[in-house]
Amino acid sequence: MSERIGRLTAAMDRLYEYDREPVSPDKLQSGGKFAGLFAGEHVAATEFVIGAFFVLHGVGARDLILGLLIGNLLAVLSWTFICAPIAVRTRLTLYWYLRKIVGPGVTFVYNIANALLYCVLAGAMISVSATAVGLLFGIPVPKLGSVLPSSLGWVLITVALGAAFTAVAILGFSKLSRFAEVAAPWIFVVFVAGALAALPRLGVTPDLGNLWEVAATRIWDGVAEAGQAKYGFWHVLSFAWFCNLAMHVGLSDMALFRYARKWTYGLYSAFGMFPGHMLAWLASGVMVAAIGRELHPGLMAYEAVGVAGIAGVTLAGWTTANPTLYRAGLALQAVTPGWPRWKITLVAGTATTVLASFPVFFLKLLDYVAVYGLVLMPVGAIVFAEHWLFPLLKIEQYRAEKRGWTFNVAALAVWLGTLAVVFALPLHLYFRWLPGWVIALVSYTALAAARRSR
Amino acid sequence: MRRPFLSRLAGGLALVSLALCLASAALFFLGRIPEATFKLGFLLASIAWFVLAAGGKMAGRDEGPTG
Repeated sequence: MSERIGRLTAAMDRLYEYDREPVSPDKLQSGGKFAGLFAGEHVAATEFVIGAFFVLHGVGARDLILGLLIGNLLAVLSWTFICAPIAVRTRLTLYWYLRKIVGPGVTFVYNIANALLYCVLAGAMISVSATAVGLLFGIPVPKLGSVLPSSLGWVLITVALGAAFTAVAILGFSKLSRFAEVAAPWIFVVFVAGALAALPRLGVTPDLGNLWEVAATRIWDGVAEAGQAKYGFWHVLSFAWFCNLAMHVGLSDMALFRYARKWTYGLYSAFGMFPGHMLAWLASGVMVAAIGRELHPGLMAYEAVGVAGIAGVTLAGWTTANPTLYRAGLALQAVTPGWPRWKITLVAGTATTVLASFPVFFLKLLDYVAVYGLVLMPVGAIVFAEHWLFPLLKIEQYRAEKRGWTFNVAALAVWLGTLAVVFALPLHLYFRWLPGWVIALVSYTALAAARRSR
Repeated sequence: MRRPFLSRLAGGLALVSLALCLASAALFFLGRIPEATFKLGFLLASIAWFVLAAGGKMAGRDEGPTG
């Protein structure tokens, strides 16, 4: 067993070998690069669903705007004060830094968890694209609350799209990445133009004199749809903050910020948060209200900007599902040493396609995003404790690396224990991550301190 | 082979196309053009954006000694 784990971790190390060394000073990037990267990455297909869900969950207009402003600001500050400083000090990816702290065995488990979560996320993006392509063939979108595929047509369209996305990911991932760079600004324009064009349908006059009244009474009117829980200011704030929890507090964006000249480059994440996670969410709210609150991203965009809207939703799903598929493949490659890249991408793509045909993943996207962040968040707390608190408390750092442990048992116990506690907490799903992060931080530090005193 | 002038020209025109996408939506919102004209204008400006932005990128890319 230990031999098998040794082989797997050695294979995993080879995959990430190219970024094993800390980034050298000549490779550091300018702030503008970070602004562009964040701006392009955070206008995805899922924005069509998230913004619409705030309407369906009956969020009031004032609560939404304040919640998004503060929640996104907290997300930017999390990148700036939690993720970027550790990345700039170590110049390592989370993978290699984690390996020093928790050992290759726990890093392996982390990779697998990450791969599975990526597959679900890519599946949700394919489902969003399917709502647009399905519109061309008259295939109905599954109703809110659906878990299983609602029709053979839905299954066929998701399988066709999943197969197409997977084929492109296998044949030309780098070309698609370049295409995604071209598509990203236009997709943002689809959101803005779509909302602008949907406003007259909601009764907004050209002088914008009644804009607030329409927003508060016809879009974000504070009334939840049947079967949907009522959300308010705190839900929105918390969601906007944790939407990218795995990236900032969970530290996976160390991979980006290790190239930053200064930790303050974390502030450039604002270029992704405020256009993508504020304007695009507000825009999709306007669009869903304009079509009578039906959660149908394809129809929302089609009604708003016409045929280009169908292309917009399809491309948004395509360009964002592909890097997600690629990352899932990279993480999964660790368990299949010797497999070529195409075979692994095919496996990840097949799993993702099967998941995409189950509408529950995009119809419960908000909850899934919360679970995704929750699962990976304790790892970020463990790294934070080891990086900042251990030196302060004079606890030895990087014991796993120094002693050659495969598994840092304390870290694994804290990770699993934190998950058990947060899933049992009598709080709304959105409010569990913060106490969970504190629990993981304190318990990992306490375990290490206790070990030192023994 | 890199063609900086063509790259800049295509990039500039691509930005104009993107601005036209937004302008068509604004004109429809203001009631200056009908919905069908807005949607057609948005579609054409979108196609122009993809052609010009992708073309600009290709013209600006250094293909290396064999390119």
